[in-house]
Amino acid sequence: MNSEENKNSNRDEELVQEYVDNDSKTVNVGAGVRIEGRIDGAEVSDISGTMSGTINSSNINLKSSGIFNGDMSGSDITISGNVEGDINSDQYLIVNQSANIKGTIEYSSLQVSYGAKIQGIIRHKGSVHSYTPNLDPIEKEDKFENQPNDVEEDV
Amino acid sequence: MSIFGSNEKKVEEKTTFNFDIDRENINHSNLAKDIKIHGSIEAKDYIDFDGHITGTVKSSTIHLKPNSYVKGNITGDTITIEGEVDGDIHAKDLHIKSTAKIKGNIRYNNIDIQNGSIINAEFFYSS
Repeated sequence: MNSEENKNSNRDEELVQEYVDNDSKTVNVGAGVRIEGRIDGAEVSDISGTMSGTINSSNINLKSSGIFNGDMSGSDITISGNVEGDINSDQYLIVNQSANIKGTIEYSSLQVSYGAKIQGIIRHKGSVHSYTPNLDPIEKEDKFENQPNDVEEDV
Repeated sequence: MSIFGSNEKKVEEKTTFNFDIDRENINHSNLAKDIKIHGSIEAKDYIDFDGHITGTVKSSTIHLKPNSYVKGNITGDTITIEGEVDGDIHAKDLHIKSTAKIKGNIRYNNIDIQNGSIINAEFFYSS
C-alpha cells in the first residue's frame, strides 16, 4: 500500500513523509501540491492541495484550500474545501461552512454548517427511505472488511 | 472541530431569537399535534405546525415541529424542520434538526443540518 502511495506522490510529499513517523499511516497533501491517483490503507489523510483520484482512509480531512475530484470513502470525513464526486462515510460526515460539494453523498451521521454549498443526491445509509438498491451496501461492506486486515498485516 | 462548534452555536442563537420576536409581534399560526389537514396552507408570516398535512405549505417562516408530517411541497423563506417531510422543499434559509426525516428534492440558498437527521434527497443550490 505504501509503495503505491510513493509512486503517486511528488517530491514535496516525500519530504513530508520523512518528517512524520513512518508508522503513523498519515498522508498529508500540502497546499499547492497536486496529486493524482489512489490513497489506500491510510488512517489519516489531510488534503490541503489538489487531488484527483480515490481516497480510502478511515479519517479524511479536506481543508478549506483543498480541491478533490473523485471518490472518497472513510468513516470520519470532514470537508471544508471543494469536492466533485462521491463521498461515502461510515460514521461522521462533517461539512463546514466553506465547503462546496457536487456529487453523491452517502452518510450515517451528517452535520452541515450554515453556508455550505451542496449539490447532488444525499442518501442516508440503512434508511428505509433509501433510494439505494439492496446490493450496494453488501458490496461496500466487503470492501471495508478487507481493509482492516491489510492494515494489521502491515503492523 | 473547535471552529465548527462555535459556528453551530451562532446559528442556533439566531434562529431561536427570531422565533421569539415572531411569536410576540407578527401574525402567528399555530397548528397543534392532533390536527390532520388534506389541502394546502398558506400564510404570510409564521406557521408553527405539529400535525399531519397532505398538501402544500406556504409561508415566509415555517416551523415544523417533531410530531409533524408533511406529504407535499413546502415553500418559504425560513424553514425549520424537526418532523417528517415527503415532498419538495423550497427555502432561502433551511434548518434541518436532528429529529428530521426528509425525502424529496430540496432547493435552498443557505442550509444547516444537525447530526442525526435522516435525509434521502437531491439538493439544488441556488445563490
